[in-house]
Amino acid sequence: MIRQISSGMGKMIIANLSTEIIYSFIIIVCSLMIYFGTKELYELSSHKGIKYFRKSFLLFALAYFFRTFIKFFVFYFNSQGILSISPRLLNPIISQITLIFFMYFSSMAIFYLLYSVNWKKWNHENRIYLFHLISIILSLFSILSSNPYSYLIVNFLLLIFVIIAVYTSYKESKKKIKKNHNLYIIYVLLLFFWILNIVEIFVPSFLQTFQLFLYLSSLGVFLTILYKVIKKTGN
Amino acid sequence: MIKRGKLEIIKDILKIIQENHNLIKPTPLLRKSNMSSTRFKEYFNELKEKQLIIETKKEKSKQIALTEKGNRFLERYHTMINFIEEFEL
Repeated sequence: MIRQISSGMGKMIIANLSTEIIYSFIIIVCSLMIYFGTKELYELSSHKGIKYFRKSFLLFALAYFFRTFIKFFVFYFNSQGILSISPRLLNPIISQITLIFFMYFSSMAIFYLLYSVNWKKWNHENRIYLFHLISIILSLFSILSSNPYSYLIVNFLLLIFVIIAVYTSYKESKKKIKKNHNLYIIYVLLLFFWILNIVEIFVPSFLQTFQLFLYLSSLGVFLTILYKVIKKTGN
Repeated sequence: MIKRGKLEIIKDILKIIQENHNLIKPTPLLRKSNMSSTRFKEYFNELKEKQLIIETKKEKSKQIALTEKGNRFLERYHTMINFIEEFEL
């Protein structure tokens, strides 16, 4: 009976891990295609907006690498007996380390996306150091804080900052006559990831219920951006 | 009058060189580019640094020509602008 339950749980873990790996793999490929697809445009123009836009997707690729692939490698090495460290000891360490990297890279990705559309207004390179600092604090805070609510408050403060930046840009954009508002797809993505970060850490059961929906929506956003990039760059 | 953007100014300078059979002296380039000499110098140095143009000496006089990268810039200029506008960068 116990053996059947543990075998069932093992299958569930493998199924969840497989879904996460496929999801992360698609996001990593999309992000890298955006990064390399815009390489020539950046090399020719040296445009700062393109620079930060590209960097943001490189950071998304790194964030997803840390989110899933390290978990996979550890799981694989454990199951193959390559690593002889006890999973009980190793798993919390790995999850904390991957969480730090995921938080850092995803926060930086979001900041770079914001900066790519606001760099003219925020014409100050020092802001990038500030972004690094906030991301480091946020990622360390995510594992060091014993009180999850304090972490939740910090995240919500950042979310408010992002919403204000989005709203200001939207208002300014409305003044100009534009054919489309693709900028807001990027902003949706940006908000989506902030919300995902918070929900994933604090309400894991919620994410489990809606996991497939969240994965598909998230993939949809990335694929839309990739499609627009390919269409516009002609690559 | 609408102020020209940086990329547009670069495109205009490169276009002048291209339309001059890819070889022009600095003085006529300055005149045709419709800029102050200080500003022109800044752009000129930047274009050289980015290897979009090359300065050659022909019969004791300086000549400016487009590099392969400079030609590519002109080819891809509209793509660059469309991309920047599309994503509001």
